Parts: sequence; C-alpha cells; structure tokens
Amino acid sequence: MTVAVHFLFLKDDRSATPVFSHGHLYVLQRSGCGKATSSPAENYQLARRRTLQVVVSSLLTECGFESAEKATVESLTEMIQSYISEVGRCAKAYCEHTARITPTLSDAVVTLNEMGFNVDTLPGYAKRSQRMVITAPPVTNAPVIPKALIAGQKRTHPSHIPSHFPEFPDPHTYIKTPTFREPVSDYQVVREKAASQRRDVERALTRFMAKTGETQSLFKDDVTAFPLIAERPSSIPYLSALLPSELELQTLEETDSSEQDDQTDSENTPVNNLNDDPGADKENSVLLAGGVVPSVKVSEENMIDNPYLRPVKKPKVRRKK
Amino acid sequence: IPVVSGFVELTIFPTVVNLNRIKLNSKQCRIYRVRVNDLEAPFIYNDPTLEVCHHESKQRNLNYFSSAYTAAVSAVDPDAGHGELVIKVPSELWKQGDEMNVLKVYIEFSLDQPKGGLHFVVPDVEGSMAERGAHVFSFGYQNSTRFWFPCVDSYSELCTWKLEFTVDASMVAVSCGDLVETVYTHDMRKKTFHYVLPIPTAASNISLSVGPFEILVDPYMHEVTHFCLPQLLPLLKHSMSYLHEIFEFYEEILTCRYPYSCFKTVFVDEAYVQVSSYASMSIFSTNLLHSAMIIDQTPLTRQCLAQALAQQFFGCFISRMSWADEWVLKGISGYIYGLYLKKTFGVNQYRHWIKEELDKMVEYELKMGGVLLHPTFGGGKDKDNPTPHLHFSIKHPHTLSWKYYKMFQCKAHLVMRLIENRISMEFMLQVFNKLLSLASTASSQKYQSHMWSQMLVSTHSFLKSISNVSGKDIGPLIKQWVDQSAVVKFFGSFAFNRKRNVLELEIRQDYTSSGTQKYVGPIKVTVQELDGSFNHTLQIEENSLKHDIPCHSKSRRNKKKKIPLMNGEEVDMDLSAMDADSPLLWIRIDPDMSILRKVEFEQADFMWQYQLRYERDVVAQEESILALEKFPTPASRLALTDILEQDQCFYKVRQGACFCLAKIANSMMSTWTGPPAMKSLFTRMFCCKSCPNIVKTNTFISFQSYFLQKTMPVAMAQLRDIQNLCPKDVLNFILDLIKYNDNRKNKFSDNYYRAELIDALTNSLTPAISISNEVRTVDNLNGDVRLILEEITRSLNMEKLLPSYRNTITVSCLRAIRMLQKNGHIPSDPSLFKSYAEYGHFVDVRVAALEAVVDYTRVDRSSVELQWLLNMVQNDPAHYIRHKILSMLGKNPPFTKAAESPLCNEALVDQLWKLMNSGTSHDWRLRCDAVNLYYTLFGLTRPSCLPLPELGLVLNLKEKKAVLNPTIKPEQGLDTTEMTGNTMGVHIPVMGFTSSEDEIDMESPHDSQAFIHHHLNILERPSTPGQHPVKHPARIILLSDNLVLFFSRTRCTSTVDQAVLSLPVTPLPSSFGKESTSSSKHSGDHHHHHHHHEHKKKKKKKHKHKHKHKHESKDKERDSHAFSNSPASGRSVRSPSMSD
Repeated sequence: MTVAVHFLFLKDDRSATPVFSHGHLYVLQRSGCGKATSSPAENYQLARRRTLQVVVSSLLTECGFESAEKATVESLTEMIQSYISEVGRCAKAYCEHTARITPTLSDAVVTLNEMGFNVDTLPGYAKRSQRMVITAPPVTNAPVIPKALIAGQKRTHPSHIPSHFPEFPDPHTYIKTPTFREPVSDYQVVREKAASQRRDVERALTRFMAKTGETQSLFKDDVTAFPLIAERPSSIPYLSALLPSELELQTLEETDSSEQDDQTDSENTPVNNLNDDPGADKENSVLLAGGVVPSVKVSEENMIDNPYLRPVKKPKVRRKK
Repeated sequence: IPVVSGFVELTIFPTVVNLNRIKLNSKQCRIYRVRVNDLEAPFIYNDPTLEVCHHESKQRNLNYFSSAYTAAVSAVDPDAGHGELVIKVPSELWKQGDEMNVLKVYIEFSLDQPKGGLHFVVPDVEGSMAERGAHVFSFGYQNSTRFWFPCVDSYSELCTWKLEFTVDASMVAVSCGDLVETVYTHDMRKKTFHYVLPIPTAASNISLSVGPFEILVDPYMHEVTHFCLPQLLPLLKHSMSYLHEIFEFYEEILTCRYPYSCFKTVFVDEAYVQVSSYASMSIFSTNLLHSAMIIDQTPLTRQCLAQALAQQFFGCFISRMSWADEWVLKGISGYIYGLYLKKTFGVNQYRHWIKEELDKMVEYELKMGGVLLHPTFGGGKDKDNPTPHLHFSIKHPHTLSWKYYKMFQCKAHLVMRLIENRISMEFMLQVFNKLLSLASTASSQKYQSHMWSQMLVSTHSFLKSISNVSGKDIGPLIKQWVDQSAVVKFFGSFAFNRKRNVLELEIRQDYTSSGTQKYVGPIKVTVQELDGSFNHTLQIEENSLKHDIPCHSKSRRNKKKKIPLMNGEEVDMDLSAMDADSPLLWIRIDPDMSILRKVEFEQADFMWQYQLRYERDVVAQEESILALEKFPTPASRLALTDILEQDQCFYKVRQGACFCLAKIANSMMSTWTGPPAMKSLFTRMFCCKSCPNIVKTNTFISFQSYFLQKTMPVAMAQLRDIQNLCPKDVLNFILDLIKYNDNRKNKFSDNYYRAELIDALTNSLTPAISISNEVRTVDNLNGDVRLILEEITRSLNMEKLLPSYRNTITVSCLRAIRMLQKNGHIPSDPSLFKSYAEYGHFVDVRVAALEAVVDYTRVDRSSVELQWLLNMVQNDPAHYIRHKILSMLGKNPPFTKAAESPLCNEALVDQLWKLMNSGTSHDWRLRCDAVNLYYTLFGLTRPSCLPLPELGLVLNLKEKKAVLNPTIKPEQGLDTTEMTGNTMGVHIPVMGFTSSEDEIDMESPHDSQAFIHHHLNILERPSTPGQHPVKHPARIILLSDNLVLFFSRTRCTSTVDQAVLSLPVTPLPSSFGKESTSSSKHSGDHHHHHHHHEHKKKKKKKHKHKHKHKHESKDKERDSHAFSNSPASGRSVRSPSMSD
C-alpha cells in the first residue's frame, strides 16, 4: 500500500500545491456523498476527488487487485487525501517559517523526510514501467473565493509600517460598533414596564408553584380559580419569619454604599436636633443611630471576661467509696 | 419526653418557737422524699387549685366558682403562710426549734412533662436536640415558681441562692445570678452550671432557660450577655445594639448602679409573654428580634427592653411586701419606663402614650367597673370584696382577669405620674433613689435577714418615703386613686358673657354609673384667647357646677397682631372663622391629664379647628381630631388637610387626621367637591412629579413620611360613594400603589407597607349584593372584587416563596380573605384559616387565622368550629396561643348571655366548667381567661340553657355562697378549737361541724373527702417519723382516691398536737436555698430514665418491708439516692411508664 501512496503523491503534487495556498479547509471538506451539488466550489472539489479515486483504483489494479469494494476505495481515497493535505500543510509551514510565501521544492523535500519518506526512492518509482497514465482532472473553474465583505473603509498603513505588510483587516474587526437601540428614557414607561414585568414573573411563578404543588382554594365550584399555594407548617417557623430573605439581603448589600452616606447624615442630625423641637424628629435619628454598632476588634473580644466565654472545667476526680 | 429532676435545700431560721410544720409551695412536682436536718420528714401534699370545685353537682354558677377559686388560692397563699406542701418537722428536732436552731429542709423531686411553669420547645426535625434548637424556659403569671421546684413562692420571702443545673453538653443553662463555673460531668456528656445569687431574692423572681443558645457579650457592657436561638445571632447583634443606652438612662435618673453584677437577656420561642423579668435576667420572645431593615419593630423592641430593665430595678431587685403593694412596683417601673420613652422618642410620643393609656384605662373602667390599685381586706364582712362589680376576686393575683391586670398596671403608672405632678419629678426620683439605696444597703448585709425587709416595698413605706422626701401630703390623691377604684367623668360646656367679659364654664360630673367616682378638688382649665393662653385652676366642689373665668382680651381689638400661644410662640391666624363677639379661641379642661378622667367638652367647630391647627400639644390635637368627626364641614376638611400636609406635626396626629378626614368625607358625600379625599395629597407627597399616577420608588428615609404613606391608603379605602361603595378611583389608586410599588433601591424592608396596602384593599370591601352562600361562585364575582382577590392571592402565594418579616403580609391577606367571606363575595369557609392556625406557623399568622375562625364561629354559629377552638385551648403546645384563643373568644363571643343561641347548651357549659375547674390548673392566666369567657357567655348565675335544678339543690346553692370551698374553712382561727377538741373521733365530729355551720351538701363524696383531707392537712399528721414516710408521695398523686384510706390510718395513729393548729405557721425560710435541677431531654437522659426505672422495679419489691435503716450513715443514703426510698410503687399506677 505504501508504494501506491507514494505514487499518488507524485502524481498529484501539482494539484495539491494550489490547495496549500488556500488553506486545507477546502481539501478536507467532505463533499459528494451523493448529494446533487451545484455550486462551482463543490464541483471543483468533486472533480479532484474523482481523480483521486481514479488514482487509487489504478494503483490497486497495478498491485493486482481485480476489484475493490466501494467503501474500501473511499477509505483509501480519504487516506491519500489526508496525506497530501498534510504534506501540503507542512510544506507551507516550512516555507512560512523562512519568511516566504510560496513553498519551494526543498520545502516539500524536507516535509517528506520529516514524514518518514525517503525522497531518493521517488525518481525510481516515478519511472517504473507498469505505471498507468491517468488523465488530468477535467478542467473546472477553480472555485471562486468568495469576496470578503468589505465593511467600511480599510485603513491605509501609517507611515511607519512598510507597505508590504498585510493590510489592515476590515474596520469592523477592531472597531466597536454600538448596536443597541436608544433606551427608552421615559420614566413612566420604564416604571410601567418594570412593574408589569415583575407582576408577570410573580404571577407566572406563583401559578407554576400552585400547579405543581398542593393548593388550597377559596371557591368550591371552581377549585382552580384563585389557587393558593398550600401552607406548610414548619418545624421552626420563626426562622423564616424573622431572618431577612436572600433577596432582601441582596438589596441591602446593593444599598450599602449609599448607606454610608446616610450614616454620616444620621450622626449629624442629632446635633441639629438639639436646637430644634426635641420631640419632632427624634424617632428618626435615634433609630438610625442605634444601627451603628461599634467595631469591636476580635482581639478585644478575646479579652472580655465573661463567664459564658470561659472554658468548661473538667470534673474533679472524686474518690469512690 | 421532658423530664426534670432535682432537689431543693432550704435553710430555715425559725422565728417562732415550736416550729413543727413547714409549709411550702409546690405544684405538679413529684416529691420523692423530704428530710429535715437529715431526718426523714413526713409530708402532705394537697393542691386545692387542681380542682376548684369538687362537686360533681350541677352548680355551674360563676359566683360559686369564683369564691371557691379564691378560697382555694387563699388556702395555699404563701403570703399567708400556706402552701400545697406541708412538712412535719420530725419531733427530734422540736427541742432544737425551741432554741431557734437552723433547720435544713431537703426535698427531692421530679417533674414529668410539666404542663406549666417550664415550657419545652422541641421542634420536630432531624438532628440532635441542639441542632433542632430545642430549648426550655420557665414562665408564669406572677408567682409561679412553685410549678418547677418546691419553694416559698412569694415575692416577700427573700433568700440568697445557689443554683446548679446539669444539662446536655451542647446546651447553655441561663439562670439568675453569677455563673461561677461550668463543669463537665464525669461522662463528659453533660455540663453543670453553677450559679450564685448573693443578693436576697424571692423565689418567684428565679427563672431558668436552657437551650443551644448563641452567646453574644454586649460590646458596650461586658457584664451583659445576650442569648438567642441558633441562626439568629445577626438579628440579636442588631437588636441589642441599643441596650446600653437604656442602662445609662436608668442609672442616670435613678443615680444608682444596676443592682446586679450581671444581666442576661434570653430570647426564646413560644414565649408566654413578650417580656418577663427575673432577678438579673429577662426572658423575651424571640419575635422581638429584627434586622436593620425593619422599621416598625425597632421602637417596639426597644420599648420591651426598656420595660424589662425598669422591672429589674423595681420588681426584681426591689420586691413587694404583699399583693396589695404590687401597684407601687408596677407604678414605678411603668413610670420610669415612661421617662425613658420621653427621652428617647420625644415628648410628643410620651404625651401621646399617656393619653392612649389613660383612654384605654378609662374605657375599661367605665365598661367593666373600677380597677382598684390597693385593695385592703379584712375588717367586716362587707369589705371582704371591695370590688363586687367584678366576676373575679382581686384578692390574689392568680384570680385576676388578664385584661384587668393589664389595666391595673396601666393605672399604676398613671397614678405615679399624678404623684409626680404633685411633688415634682425631682422628689420623685429622690424617693426612688432612696428606696434603691436602702435596698442595696440591706442586700449587702449577709446573714442578717431581718435587714432584708428593706428590699421589700409596701404602700405604706412608699408613701412615707414620699412624705419624708417631699414634705407634701399626698393623702387625698392616694385616697382618690389608689384606695378607691373608678375614674371621673366630666361633661363641660361654656358660654361667653360679653357684657362681663367672662367665660361661664359649666363642668358636670357623672358619678353614678359604673366605674365612675366623684371628684372634688382642683382642676386646671386652659383658655386660649386672642391675647394669649391663660391657665386657670378651678375648684371642683360638691355643688358648684358653674365657674366664671374672666377673660383677658377684648374681642377683636387688634386684628393684625400675632397671637401668643402657650409655649411662647406667636403665630398669625386667620380669625375670620371665629365669633366676632368672643375673644375665645379654644378651651381645654385638664390639659395635663392630671386627673384620671374622661372629658366630654362642647365647643364650637371653629374652636376645635383652631385647636387642631395652633395648639402645639399633641393631646389637644388628637382631642380636636376626635371632636371634628362630628363637624363635617369644608372648614374641618381644610383644617385636617392642612395638618396632613404639615410635616412639623407629630406623625401620629397626622395619621389620626387621615381617618378623621375619611369619616368627614363620607358624611359630606353629597357636597364633596374635587377628587376623593387625600388622593391629591398623597399624589403630591409620594408620587412622581412627571407621572402622578405612579408612586415614587420607596426610600423610607423619613420615618414620619413612611408612617403617613402607610396610613393614607388605609384611610382612603374607607371612603364611600353614594351607593355606599368604595369609589372606583380610590380602588384603582390603591391597586396602582401595589402594582408600582418598587423597593429595590430601599435599604428598609417594605413588608409593613405592603401589608397595609392589603389592609387598604380589605377596607375598601363592601357587602356583596346577594349574600346567599350558593351564589358565591367564581362567575358571580364582582369585577372589582376579582381584582382585589387577584392581588391577595398573588401576595399570599409570594409569601410562600419570599416570606416577609413576621409574615405581616400573610396576616393581612388572611384578614382580607375573612372580610371577603364575611361580605359575601366568596363562600364562607373556615378550613383555610384552620390550616393556617395549626401549630407550626408563625405565631402572628396563627393568631390572625384564629381570629378569623373565632369570627366565623360567631357569624355562622358553628359548634364544630367552637369545639375545634376549645380543643386547641386544651391541647396546643404554645401557651400564648391558648390564652389568645380564649381572650379572642371573650372579645368576639359566639353568643352572649343576653341572646339565645343554639350553641349554648349543657355540653358546652360542662366543657367550659371543666376547663376552668380543673383543665387549666397549670396556668393561672389561662384559668382566668376561661373564667372570663364563661362570664361572657353565661354571666354570673346559672346558665339559662341548663335544666332547672331540683329544689333542694337550689337551696344549697344559695347557702353555699357564704362558704363555698370547705377546704379553707379550718384555716380560720375560730374553727380550730372545735376541731382540736374532737380529735379522737375525727370523722364524725368533723361532719357534724360542717353541716351545722354551712349546710354543705354531702351529695358528693369528693367534697367531704376533700374537706376531711384538708382538715387532716391542718391537723398534725402524727405519723412517727420514719415509720411510713414512703407512702406519702403516693398520696400526692392519687389524691382523691387514696383519701379514705389515708384518713382511716390517720385516725388510728392520731395523736394530735393542738398547738399546731392555732399557730400562724409561717416559717421564715429566709435563708440559703439550695437548688439543683437537671433538665434532661437528651439521649443522656434516657439513660437516666432507665436508671429510674430499674430502681423503681427494685423498689416495688422492697417497698413493703422498707427501711428502718433510716438513720444510717448519711453517705450511704446519698449514694442510694432518691430511689432507695422511692415512692414509685404507689404512684406508678397512674404515671405513664417512664421507659420510652
């Protein structure tokens, strides 16, 4: 089998080369598969592929096979195609490594060596007597590379960049393009929207809960009319009733930054109040001021002598009678 | 299974020779043994309050019950030297007694599933007891310590304490005094907390709570420690952040340090009351805790803390001499709490509070009859009951109706304020300081118990202090308000005599109707004239009704001049409204509330309006708001609206103005112009400028505005149009408020606000057109109601997902649903409420649901629901709920004595009778609640639904009124001679004696047994010490059944000591009490149980030959412990098996 492959490679060398420059994406694409295709790019590939199949078949014949299953031929074709592609890719890489853009023979030779192929055997193989001549693939139009969509004006190189350097890509690849619509700034509409959105969410959520769980009903004739999620006694009812819900805690965190301002406010108010009517604003300032807990440092806390913080003593050893 | 076992050691210094019996209080304790100075002592246990009336007879009249109950409570009253537990001092010690030697009484006892006194909260979840948050705490109404250990359960018997509690290692035991040390038991599974309370303290002020508490040392005061249930620590931190200021305040005004060396606050679930204070610790309801986001609860919690702390000084540290002196303590603690209110919440709040309390109390007294602060008993028979108008006796705290007691406290602090008015605050505080410093000097006198009486306050000593300090005679004041019940009711009217330029004021009194008394003395009248405000002091005398008050200003002299007010302020007024001939702007009678009175004063509407606008006193403003309800005019409307808009005005006045405005608007319906009342005002204050139909996002930075914002919609919803419906505008407005409510940017929770919006929806409901139950279907639902119902459904459902603080929204929704039912919009059905009322919901929710069930019971006359409620009264784990059900039934009774009802039947009478007679013996408060309900339903006499009794019985019944419970009879000195004279043939003479004097009907064996039993109680139980002591405990439990047996045995061995009976056997156990309780709830305790059990089994066998080895070595007995002497065999017949 290996021999056949070598041969094939040679035969196809030319045809493979253009592939390199376009990148192997096209080569590797699996085409055919019985689909009636019509695009020029696909036609082009189908033709190449068919040539490869012919190559495989002739090699098989050359080796003495009389017939082969279609699937086998397909597999071999695939392998050849992969091999050629790989050689092409590597050669291209070598060439680019040396800062060129077109692969040379030496690139191909290095590649083949690299892939474990002895190049010296190649001329002999090419000149073997029983080789079959394969017709060139039908001339089809090379696939038209779809033109990249040009969006906007390409930038020209600034003076410090030599002109041989690649052009700038399209502006849209590096320029931020704002795509949102102008937000609705009408306060009323915003509030309206927020309110109905929340209401819809709440309603959907509670309906869902009611549908999926047990319910209680206010009407006997239509149990589904105003479904109430069934109450569930809890073993420790005070916890959920007293502790702030996660949502509330979140709100608290969000308003935390503003709270600091408020606290400084509240520290000022009692002073002002002294001059004012003592009765009027008292509740406010007192309630707020109460919330400010002194920051007791951890180390300080450790020094507090409180009997409840003392360690528990070990029992005294009592003499048994 | 909650089981507590422990022992008590009392050290008694006899103050009388011949002390041979010691009476202690003890309820529901199972007493295993009693030893006095290491000698086994025989004892008797009889609790007459277990079953008040022993008759199976069909008496069923409340007069009878009340006297019997009073008698029963008297019979065990520790202040009178009585008790349920009578211990005979072994005769070997009698000689010692002569020499006044110390007696050490040692009692071993256990509590098996106590029903009162201690409350165990054991949540039914997975995990260890600590993980489940299981805890226990002591509770009770007044002196209730006897429920959990034997003691002299009186506020006047002081002693120092050493307390030891052994609990599971995961628990903390918090009790009175200083925690000296905590020691592991040998198996390291439990800890023993050792407390010492060196300050002499009454047993009734001792408490305990045990639980897996989180501990917070107060950051400001390291002697103060706070305890809360697991997971609540953040709330505790916030809620307690203010306590130190209260401490500072009290210490400053009293110029006295907090008397105890430490203070502990414990927050427990299912609390009996919100606040209860004990020596150096207070137990609170855990529901007082709140986070920083909660507005409404914050002042309430701080008020509770302040109350608790005030009671630490007066109530715990300083205790009372007797029940009749209770008013002094309640008065002082309430008064200094008022001073705290004034300082912290402002003068407005304080005056508002005083008015509120005064109105509440006046209303109660006028409705129910007077509240007597200082009852004196004794003297002639007539004075036996100083309050004949009441259906209960006020002789003991334990017979009082709860509501009465609340009003009593209210009156007490109001009277203190009157005293302050009289002698000045400075003197008042000096008196308090004197009381405290005397007490603290006394408390430091170790081992000199006679000094300790300084720590008890009596009415007499208090009044003496006042006269010493102030030099003023407050006798008339005391006589009027303290020694006498009832309030004063004034009617005032006036006329202006232009010629004489005199105001002719007429003040009449009503002192004939119930709850009123006549007032004679000074009264202050304030007249606001054009030229200023003038105070006049008039003398109210017997016959003078009219008073001439000269006016200072000529009418309309200076039109442009500013008008000076009482506080010196000068204001411009539009005087066009007033009468051109009169210089009077407004008149106030007794503006300082220095009489406990109700004033109905008549003045013209414009005067009320001026008063509302310009008088700066919030009380005056509130009075005028109330008066303006009767003047639905555009001028009133304007005055109220102006007040609403004035943000200088006290927020509670503005809240009041909202409701008044709604009422006025309804009265002016036909002439009302413009948008519905308050709508444009609300829009201007709280809605967005650009879109007036949308409310601003919540901030609640200004609390005054917050409260107003909450109230206005509720008041607006009371508006009605010509069809008597809530105007469509208003309803939509409220619905929009709910819809656009946005709390995202608010650092405060809006749960109370949202709840009030639901309340507003409730208020907007009006009766449906057709009310028959069949038509109440979804299809027939009115469109507006459908919208309301939708909101309620959604809110209630959202609560399940995001519960609000204290579930306020659920509470409001439940009320709303009941209202929808009641108005015939949806089918009337209690099942929803019943499910919410079940144990396991937050207490506020339960109460709201129960309220709905109670209401349903009344409206639908449903006996099923009534039964269900009564069943809950008997079985619910939470004592507060039981109490609440009964008081709600009393407030909203299913029927009353006045009306016929199918519910009123014999079975119900029997059931309630049983409930108050024996079903509630573990909770004084509950029993009084039951009595109240019985009174509301059936009145004082025999319920009308009962079949007519036979003639003989009726006679009996009447005669009984004089004597009633025979169990107390022998306590009266008279009888003793007769008794002792007949000792040999006890049985017959006793019978003869009773029948001759009181005609007790002997139809029931119980009665006589109890009677005899009690006599024996009083009689020496002469058993030779050590002879049969083991049998007594058996008797304790099987009281009635064993009586006969006991009796006969006694007769056989009887050698009666006559001296005992006549002795006022009041041992003074002023001394060291030693007490240790191991509260056992955990696996470790099961261990314990088995221990019990094994011992018991052994004992059963042994029991018959029992021990004569009584006086063997002490050590041995200690080791063999309680159960070597176990009484179990007799008792275990009834007691549930102790093995699990």
